[in-house]
Amino acid sequence: MSSNSYFVIVGTRDNPLYEADLGQPPPQPQQARVADGGGKKDEHKHLNQFIVHAALDVVEDLMWGTSAMYLKVVDKFNEWYISAYVTASGAKLMLLHDAANTDGIRNFFQDTHELYIKALLNPFTEINSPITSAHFDTKVRALARKWL
Amino acid sequence: MATAVLGHDDRRLVAEASLDFLVVEMVDLMHRSHAGETGETDREAAYFKLENLGYQLGMAMVERITKDRPRFLDNLDVVKFICKDFWIALFKKQIDNLKTNHRGVYVLTDNNFRWFSRMSGDGTSADISRQAFAHLAFPCGLIRGALGNLGVATVVSGEVTTIPHCTFQIKISKP
Repeated sequence: MSSNSYFVIVGTRDNPLYEADLGQPPPQPQQARVADGGGKKDEHKHLNQFIVHAALDVVEDLMWGTSAMYLKVVDKFNEWYISAYVTASGAKLMLLHDAANTDGIRNFFQDTHELYIKALLNPFTEINSPITSAHFDTKVRALARKWL
Repeated sequence: MATAVLGHDDRRLVAEASLDFLVVEMVDLMHRSHAGETGETDREAAYFKLENLGYQLGMAMVERITKDRPRFLDNLDVVKFICKDFWIALFKKQIDNLKTNHRGVYVLTDNNFRWFSRMSGDGTSADISRQAFAHLAFPCGLIRGALGNLGVATVVSGEVTTIPHCTFQIKISKP
């Protein structure tokens, strides 16, 4: 099975600032998973990016109509749902997931938004540039485990 | 007087005097670092640097301040936000007067600009304008950065004739 969710932060110029594969750990032991799921995972990774990119248009459309930040589910592809959350400055947080878990996802988006702001407070980061900090990555994964 | 650090629940306080000193010293530092061998300072370059500093800072600050409120639907909303929430967060007061010609030009008037409250000017208003010119670079940059990150490309200029009264003019740039 490919990963359960895929999280992207997209900047104002439709450039990805951060991507994370947030697959939930399966109950089988490590070795078994690699043996059977490894190949499939790699195949679907580029598809995730493609799906999110296609959903960006829908998000752009929706964001001008509402003043809310959390846009809930904006698009659907096969069995995956795409939820979006737009910040005031136009950065879009997108999540590709397969379960419908609105409350958990909203909380996840809010917490990740705070994390994003904290990352931006660093005077050495530029606003629309990729976020490469390992600390940020760890924190996002911890939040994913908590809310998703 | 103390200034609370924005957005944190454990409110850590900093003496406001240190912010005042920092702002004043920043302008002075830019001028010193741009002083040519002949002793003249390159005012334009210093202004440009200060304005860009303000720009970066404005962009980051506005992310923080808009975190919990709904997004904006048009330019006037954005400018009103700058006059109210943004100015309150920075200077603990709102802009005193906002004028617009509804064609992309806004004039913000602050009758008691906080960073000028500890400065004095001497001479005619033309002299004061010249002296305070450099000190307006950073606030103009802050406004431009805040507007920029909210999606509005602008040119911001400031004017001061009597301390501490000053005006900022925002011109929305056509794409």
